[in-house]
Amino acid sequence: MADQPQPDGSQPDGLEQRRPDDGPVCEDRPVVLSVHQLTKRFGKILAVDHLDLAVCRGDVFGFLGPNGAGKTTTIRMIFGLIFPTSGHAEVVGHRVPGERVAALRHLGGFVEVPAFYPNMSARRNLRLIGSAGGRVTEQRIGEVLDIVGLLGRADSKVGGYSHGMKQRLGIANALLGDPDLIILDEPTSGLDPQGMKDVRELVRELGRAGTTVFLSSHLLHEVEQVCNRAVIINKGRTVVEGPVSTLRPREDTVKVMTGDQRKAFETARGLFGEQGVRWDEDYVVVRTDDDGVPELVRRLVADGLDVRAVVPAIEQGLEDFFLELTQSSDVDAPAGAAAPPGAVAPAGATTGAHANGAGATGTSSAPDGQG
Amino acid sequence: MRSLWREFVKILFQRRTYVGWAGLLAVPLLIVLALQLSSSKPGPGEGPPFFSAITNNGVFVPLAAVGALSFFLFPLVAAMAGAYPLAGEAEMGTMKTWMSRPLGRPTVLFSKWGVAILYVIVGMLLVGVGGLVAGWLVFGAHPLVTLSGTTITIPAGIWRIVLANGLILGALLCMISLAMLVSTLSNSSLTAAISAMVIYVVLNILNGFHYFDFMKPYTFTSYSLAFTNLFRDPIYWHPIRDALLTYGVTVAALLAASWLVFRRKDILT
Repeated sequence: MADQPQPDGSQPDGLEQRRPDDGPVCEDRPVVLSVHQLTKRFGKILAVDHLDLAVCRGDVFGFLGPNGAGKTTTIRMIFGLIFPTSGHAEVVGHRVPGERVAALRHLGGFVEVPAFYPNMSARRNLRLIGSAGGRVTEQRIGEVLDIVGLLGRADSKVGGYSHGMKQRLGIANALLGDPDLIILDEPTSGLDPQGMKDVRELVRELGRAGTTVFLSSHLLHEVEQVCNRAVIINKGRTVVEGPVSTLRPREDTVKVMTGDQRKAFETARGLFGEQGVRWDEDYVVVRTDDDGVPELVRRLVADGLDVRAVVPAIEQGLEDFFLELTQSSDVDAPAGAAAPPGAVAPAGATTGAHANGAGATGTSSAPDGQG
Repeated sequence: MRSLWREFVKILFQRRTYVGWAGLLAVPLLIVLALQLSSSKPGPGEGPPFFSAITNNGVFVPLAAVGALSFFLFPLVAAMAGAYPLAGEAEMGTMKTWMSRPLGRPTVLFSKWGVAILYVIVGMLLVGVGGLVAGWLVFGAHPLVTLSGTTITIPAGIWRIVLANGLILGALLCMISLAMLVSTLSNSSLTAAISAMVIYVVLNILNGFHYFDFMKPYTFTSYSLAFTNLFRDPIYWHPIRDALLTYGVTVAALLAASWLVFRRKDILT
């Protein structure tokens, strides 16, 4: 099968053929990381289910999925921390498991939360951990601490660092050996909005500088901000893979505020049907293509409603889209949760019920705040 | 060797490292102090081995101290030293940091075993050198009278004390390897250290019953006094050889089991 290593798979920079049916994903760029029919079973639970993916040199690759989708398990298998039930990963031509040590020479990054020695300074931590991958110079340690903006605190103990600083130190550690690929497992999780913004900006800059990044995240808009390609997984299976632009929802989403929201809600439903209209707190959220918005405003005005605000709701749009993608493959989720957002509450139910439905949807994007 | 050095740097940044070493160094110093200040010295044959000889000859202090410590504090320190490098890192979450670096699993496991030995050897040096210096200063140094009644020179005596430490180290290697085996199975360093101590204590109790005499040759705990045979003239090698054989087999078996577990272990933290 195509997931066998190709006879020419050991070309100078690990360039390999993709599966014929997938077409040339990387075109003329070498594949840095590929995962072939990777499967991990914990007892009865299939955490990762015959997963395939390929990361090309220069990609900032988004590895997207809800919590429990199998992202961390996949990353653990790529690092060789745990053993796959079947399948394998390949890092610059080295199979994991099997050639784990050779593969790890090309890899940097962290799984879950980066862990360091609290009694040591950042500099000493990097010196100690970095020495396990070859020679590290003091100059390089200074460089990577500068990249992540920790140079000023380089000599204070890591025990006193904030969560965001530890995340950034994790990225510094990933960069230390100048690897071909860095893997960051939810680097913005648990950070405040400013911390998230900083880390995303950092990842974007790494991408601009040519570093290949594999970024796991459960936030579609985060991946859209920093990545060029992405795969969305759920229940250990690929839902959709491709350039980030193709992951966008086909419609736009706007939030509408009028003088009479109940009436506006009914009007909008009359125009776009139940699927495209829902509540988000006090706003009516409408999913439509571009021509729909002027038409909606005309109808609201014609119905005698004061249109106070029509606001683009990109984040809600993306998160709705993400939920739909992941939930449509969510076979055994409860019926209510599996329905697309907007169809949560039956027509004619009270505003309160709508607000609850919208609120439940809203929690998926809540950890991100407005960042 | 680089991995061993890295492990050593790591334990140097742990406070418990110094607690263990300080406790070990304190014992020979306290023995000297107590015997010097006390009015009733232990008579010949009283107290733990070689205690009665100390007041006449300070060279016996390191021997008496290591002999006394070999029953409890040294096994405890060895259990801690063997348990911490693996399970302690799992507790801190740094195990996955190391296992994400290009280091082979054998390198990781055996450098951790090595650093535990290094830790215990440093402890033995503290006891030996500290005891010798303190004993020499307070009680003076004289040629040693062996258990057989003959006299050997001070350098020859010190050499035999070094050999005695080596033999005791063999038993401690068993403790280290035991603690390491448990720490490959558990991600708690406390569980690993305590389990090793529990097994040690139980084996010691079993060794005390004649009913269990049949297993005595095979348990590493039953050779705790074998080192005294180094102080006969000529050295009575037979029990020493038995002890070394048991230690060797025990350590090899425990290490092999540790490797079998660690080779395919899922590193989750």
